[in-house]
Amino acid sequence: MESLIAASICLIIAVYCAIRAVLERETLLKLPFVNVMNFGIAGLIVLILPHPLTLVAAAAYFVGSTLEANAIASAYARREQP
Amino acid sequence: MLEEYGQILIATAIAWILFVTIDVFWRLPEKGGVSGADAIGSAIAKHGGDQHGGWMIGNIVSSPDASAGTLLAACGFFVAGIPGGIAAAALVYAGNRICHDSGYAGTSGALIATFVIAGCMQIGFGASDFIVGTVIAILTIQGISHPHASRILGRLWRWRA
Repeated sequence: MESLIAASICLIIAVYCAIRAVLERETLLKLPFVNVMNFGIAGLIVLILPHPLTLVAAAAYFVGSTLEANAIASAYARREQP
Repeated sequence: MLEEYGQILIATAIAWILFVTIDVFWRLPEKGGVSGADAIGSAIAKHGGDQHGGWMIGNIVSSPDASAGTLLAACGFFVAGIPGGIAAAALVYAGNRICHDSGYAGTSGALIATFVIAGCMQIGFGASDFIVGTVIAILTIQGISHPHASRILGRLWRWRA
């Protein structure tokens, strides 16, 4: 691992935002915290394992989780306004 | 050790200015791009935030925007140099299309970030500084206080509009 400081900051931010997401009461407002957590994890994947294929893994993880957040938010919006 | 913290702080400032500028340039705060982004914007406005800033936060959640482009470009640069950054831009482009986003904020953000990082490498920054810098920058927008962050973004949007 080349940069221990960078990796630990990413990890701390991801854990902090995971806790904030659990504590937040409104579902739609949880999603921005989950988004920051995804940023932290995607950065951490690459920092822990520097290899070209890891970039694909991080991008796949990030795009997949963004798509999930998109799906949750739009399903929730449709439920609130029938 | 102290030097690395300083580099991370400066990289955070560069990443923040870079992706907020690109997002505002591509009119992300104008409206919620998809229904989910719209709902997040309205929820933030209901809790005392700014409507336009809320829409921008919703758009960042719902599709890979310039901040995601900056992060993945930094990751790509970290593993493979400039070709890695361009590969990251291609991955963000595919991600935008998967998320039904017709804009180019993510792709252009990744390409511009690749060259900004390449320039900063010449003066002693590491690509890992930009990975963690982007994560801290997105934390200040999405992860600390939505009402305050959305007001700052709304002010920037009114200044541009």
